[in-house]
Amino acid sequence: MDIQKRIDELETALKKELENVKTMNDLQNVKSKFLGKKAEISGFMKHMKDLPNEEKPAFGKAVNEGKQRLSGLIENKREELRKAAIEEKLRKETVDVTLDAPDYAPGGVHILNRIVEEIEDLFVGMGYKIKEGPEIETDEMNFEKLNLPKDHPARDMQDSLYITKELLLRTHTSPVQVRTMLEYGGKKPVKIICPGKVYRRDDDDATHSHQFLQIEGLVVDKQTTMSDLKGTLLTIARAMFGEKREIRLRPSYFPFTEPSVEVDVTCANCEGIGCGICKQTGYIEILGAGMVNDFVLRQSGYDPDVYQGFAFGVGIERVAMLKYGIEDIRHFYTNDLRFNTQFK
Amino acid sequence: MKVSLSWLQEYVSLEGITPDELASTLTLRSQEIENVYNLVEADTLIIGEVLDVSKHEKADKLSVCRVDTGKDKLQIVCGAPNVAKGQKVVVALPGATLAGGLRIEKTTLRGVESNGMICSLSELGIEYKYHHEDGIHVLADTAPVGEDALEYLSLNDTVVELDLTPNRSDLLSMHGVAYDVAAIYDRKLKLPMPEIITANQDNPFTIETDTEKCPSYYARILDNVTIAPSPRWLQARLIAAGIRPINNVVDITNYVMIETGQPLHAFDLETLTSEKVLVREAKQGETFVTLDEEKRTLEEGDILITDGQKPIALGGVMGGLDTEVSDSTVSLLLESATFDPRQIRRTSSRLDLRSESSIRFERGVDPEKTRYALDRACAFLATYAKASIRNGVRYFDNHKRKKRIIPITLDKVNKVLGSSYSVNEVQNVFDRLDFSYEEKEGRFLVEAPSRRVDIQTYQDLIEEIGRLKDYNELPDTLPSTVSVGALSPYQQFKRKIRSTLSALGLSEAITYALREKERINDLTRENESPVELSKPLSKAHHALVLTPLTGLFDVVAYNKARKQESVHLFEIGKRYRKNEEPERLGIAMHGPYHPRHWQKTPPTDFFTVKGVVEALQKALRLPELDYEKTTIDNYHPHQTAVVKAGDTTLGHIGKVHPEYAEQYDLEDVYLAELAIDKLYSVAEKDATYRTVAKYPHISRDLALVVDADLPAGELLKTVERTLGERLSESRVFDVFTGKTIGEGKKSLAIRLIFEAREETLQSSDVDADIERVVEALKDTHDARLR
Repeated sequence: MDIQKRIDELETALKKELENVKTMNDLQNVKSKFLGKKAEISGFMKHMKDLPNEEKPAFGKAVNEGKQRLSGLIENKREELRKAAIEEKLRKETVDVTLDAPDYAPGGVHILNRIVEEIEDLFVGMGYKIKEGPEIETDEMNFEKLNLPKDHPARDMQDSLYITKELLLRTHTSPVQVRTMLEYGGKKPVKIICPGKVYRRDDDDATHSHQFLQIEGLVVDKQTTMSDLKGTLLTIARAMFGEKREIRLRPSYFPFTEPSVEVDVTCANCEGIGCGICKQTGYIEILGAGMVNDFVLRQSGYDPDVYQGFAFGVGIERVAMLKYGIEDIRHFYTNDLRFNTQFK
Repeated sequence: MKVSLSWLQEYVSLEGITPDELASTLTLRSQEIENVYNLVEADTLIIGEVLDVSKHEKADKLSVCRVDTGKDKLQIVCGAPNVAKGQKVVVALPGATLAGGLRIEKTTLRGVESNGMICSLSELGIEYKYHHEDGIHVLADTAPVGEDALEYLSLNDTVVELDLTPNRSDLLSMHGVAYDVAAIYDRKLKLPMPEIITANQDNPFTIETDTEKCPSYYARILDNVTIAPSPRWLQARLIAAGIRPINNVVDITNYVMIETGQPLHAFDLETLTSEKVLVREAKQGETFVTLDEEKRTLEEGDILITDGQKPIALGGVMGGLDTEVSDSTVSLLLESATFDPRQIRRTSSRLDLRSESSIRFERGVDPEKTRYALDRACAFLATYAKASIRNGVRYFDNHKRKKRIIPITLDKVNKVLGSSYSVNEVQNVFDRLDFSYEEKEGRFLVEAPSRRVDIQTYQDLIEEIGRLKDYNELPDTLPSTVSVGALSPYQQFKRKIRSTLSALGLSEAITYALREKERINDLTRENESPVELSKPLSKAHHALVLTPLTGLFDVVAYNKARKQESVHLFEIGKRYRKNEEPERLGIAMHGPYHPRHWQKTPPTDFFTVKGVVEALQKALRLPELDYEKTTIDNYHPHQTAVVKAGDTTLGHIGKVHPEYAEQYDLEDVYLAELAIDKLYSVAEKDATYRTVAKYPHISRDLALVVDADLPAGELLKTVERTLGERLSESRVFDVFTGKTIGEGKKSLAIRLIFEAREETLQSSDVDADIERVVEALKDTHDARLR
C-alpha cells in the first residue's frame, strides 16, 4: 500500500466533507470519522509492525504528518466556524444608531435662581457674605428703621401688602440689611448681599408682578465711598451684561440712601446708540443705589460720625428679561416647562 | 410735573439749549425726564374766516365752506355741525400734518373739491379732557385772518415732563424748576414781583384756627369780578401743565399754584354766612359735599375750613360745592394757606381724593410763598377778571421761621463721594443753587432755603454737590474693606439640593406665595390657619401658602393641559407663619420619568418619587430614611408615607388622591415635601472615610412567606437588628402573591450581603447568622421559609 497516496486520498476526502460542514457538531462528527479511534488513519500504525524495518521510519513519519494535516484542516474549519458564529451573533445585535435615546435630560435651576446664584458667586468672590431674612416683616423693619415713617409720601413708591397693622410682606430686602447691622452691633464692617422674594401691591401684567426677586447689597465701613459704589456697580453691570458695558448714574430718591442714584447700563442691543429696547436713549435702567442715610445707620446701631456705607438693589426679573429678551414677567411664575427648560 | 418751556423761559433763559438737550441734562443732574413733546404736533395751521356755508348735495352731514385764508379764498368741505358763516377758524392747508401724523391733501369728498380742513382742538392733538369741545374750534372775532393759528393760540410750545421723586416738592412749581435749571446751567434767575393796587374798602374778615394742622392762612377779598374765559396764553399754559381751563378765576388760582407751588382756593363770597374763617378739625362722621359733588364722610383730624358756622372746604384737599365760584360770582374770598403734610396725605389717601393741591401739600409747600402767591393771583385777577382788591390781608402765620443752618466740611464731602473737590468748586455749587453759606478753611455753614424742604442734613448737601458736579465724574474704585466671602453651610446645602434634583431631571419652579385661602391646606400634612392679607390683592392672592406643593400641583396641571407628557418639578418654598418661615422642599412628579420613547418605560409610581428622595438622601449625606404609611387629606389612602430619620419627621411622600387630581384634570400625581431645616439638621456635615473592603462579600438569599400587610421595611429592620454590624446591606428583590403562597400571605425574597472587613469571610461563618435571622423572623413576624 502506498501510504502516502492513501493519505492524500484521505485529505481530499476530508476537504470535500468539510465543505459541507455547517456546525460545530458536524465538525465533531467529521473529526471522529477522520481522526477518531476507529478512523482509518488511526489503524495505519497497526500495519507498522508488518513493514520491513527500513520502511518503518518513513511510514511512521508519513502517518504522523498525515494526521497533522488532517487535524490542521479541521482546526482551520473550527476557527472559521467560530468566527462565523461570532459574526452572526454580533449581526443579530445590530442597532439603528439613529433611533432616539432614552430621555435623561437634566432638569434645571429656575432662571431667576440661576441669576441669583451667579450674582452671589460674583459677590462672594469679592468678599461679601450672603444674608437672608423673613418675608413677613414688621412695619418697623421694612419702613420705619429705613427712614420711611408712617404717612411718608415715599411709601407710595412701594405700595405694600399688609397682614396686620404692624406686619406686612416685605417690599424690599432692605430689612435684612437692618437685621444684619443690628446683629453686628454697630461694631464691625458690613459687607453683605441679601437676595430674596419681595412683594408689592401691583396687578400682574407683562411688566408688573406682585411677587418678585431682589438682591440688595450693603457695605458699611469707616471709609466706604460713593466712588466705591460706582466701581462696584460697574463690576456687576459688566459681569451681568458683558465686558463692554458702561454705566451711568442719575440722581434719584430713596429714603434710606442719601445721595441716591438710579443706574443705567448701556444698551447691549445697540451698544448705546439708541434702539427700540432702550427707547432710543442708549441706556437701560437696571438698579437703584446710594450712600446709606445717617438715620438708617443710627437706627441700626452704627455711628454715622465713624461709619459710612453704600447700598444698592437690583430686580432679578428685570436682569433676566434684559439678558434674554423675555417679553413678559409672568413667564417666570407660570413655569411652563417649555419656558423653564430653555435655561439649562 | 409737565413743564412748559415757553413758561420756563420767563424765569430763566434757555437760549442755545434744545428741548432734547435740556431733557438729557435734567435727567443726569436733576430728575428723570419722562417725555419731551410739542404741545401740538401739527404744522401749517392758519387762521381763516368762513365766508359762506352751503349744504353738500350728496352728503347730509357735510357742509361746503368758502374760507378766506388771507392769501386765498378756498373751498373746504367740513363735517362739523357747528360750522357757520362768519366764524374765525383754524385751517389746516394742503400739506399740513395733524396730530397722529394725519396728512392734509387737496381732495374730493363725494364729488366736491376740498382744499384743506377746518380743525377741532382734538384734531390738533389737544385731548378732549382739556376743552370738552365736540366740533371745530371757533376763534374770537378779533383773530387775525391769515396769521399762524398756533402762535395766536399760544399752543406753539414744548413740554418737558419730569418724573418727580417724592423728595423734590420744590419741582412741583415752575419757580422750583427754574431754580434748578438756573443752577445746572449757571444762568441768571428772574422771578416776577407781584404789584397790586388795593381799593379803599377794608377787608373785614377775621381768620382763626382751632388746629395746629393749619400753620398759616392768608386771605384777601376781591369784588367786581367778571367771570370770563382766561386769556389764550394762560389757557395754553394750563393745558401744557395738564390742567383744564375753566374760567379766569379758577384758571388764575391754578396758574399761580403751578407757578409757585402754593395751592390757592377761591370761594364765592356771597355763599359765606359770616365775615370769618375758622379752621378746625372735623368731628368723627361729619359729612361734607366737595365740589366734585361727592358727599364725603370725615374722620377726626381731617382739616375743615369753615365760615364760622358751616364747612366751606376740606382743607388742602378740595373746596366745597356750596361755595364754589360760578358764572354769577361777583366777589371772592381768596385763600392761600399751608397744612400739615401728614394729615393731608392721610385724608386724601383715605378718601382716594388726590388733587393737584393735595399732592403739593402732602409733600410740603414753601411757607415763604404763601403770601406771595396770594398777591400774585390778586394781581392777575385785577388784570384778567377786572377785580378790585380790598385793602388788607387777613391772616395768621404760626410757622416757626427757624433758619436751617447745616454745617459741612470739604473733607466730609470728599470722604463720602470719594472725590477731590476744592473749596472753590463746592462754593460754586452753592452759589449756583442760590444757597447762602459761610466758609472758613473748608468748613461750611450752609443755610437751606425754605423752598427746599428736602435739604435737611449734610447728606442732602452732598447730594446737591454730587449731582451738580455729575456723579459720573467720580472715579471707579472698590471698597477697601477686607473680608472673607462665603456661602453659609446651609446656603451650600440648598444649592446641593438644587443641583442634585436638576441632575435627576427635575425642573425648578418658582410659584406665588399668595394663594386662594380655601386651597392653602389642600396638600399639607398638618393643617393650620394660614397667614392672610388684611386687604387681599384678589381672591387668587389672599393667603400665604403652607407648602410649595400648592403651587407645584397647579404647575403640573398647567403643563398637563398644554400636553406636556413628563412634568417633574421641585421648588424651595416656605411654610409661611407669622413668627417663622421654615423652608420646605416640594417635589411633584407626573408622567413618564426618563421616557424611553420606542422602548418600554417603567411606569411612574410611588417608587419613582421615593427614588428621588432616596437619591437626595445619598447626595445630602442623610442617615437611612424610614417610611411609615400614613393618611393625609387629598392623598391616596394606601400610597402615602411620612419620611423619617430616626425620631425626626422630615416630611411626607405620596400619591395625590385620584378624586382630588381629577378636579384639575389630572391623574397619577406624586408629591413629596421635605423640611429643609430638618434635612440639614440630620445630615452628616462632611463625608466620613471608611477603608474599602479588600475581600469579596458573601450574599445569601431568603424567600419568606409573611402576612400580606406586613411592611417589608419592618422585616428588614428585624434582620438589621439581629445581625447588626456584620450585615452590610439587605434588600427585597422580589415580591410575590398568588395561590401557591396562600390567602392573605405574600412571599418576600430578600438578599443579605455580608462584607468581610478584616479577613476572608467563609461561607460557614454566615450559616450561623442565617439561622439566627430565620429564627428571629419567625418569632417576630411569623415568617416561614418558602
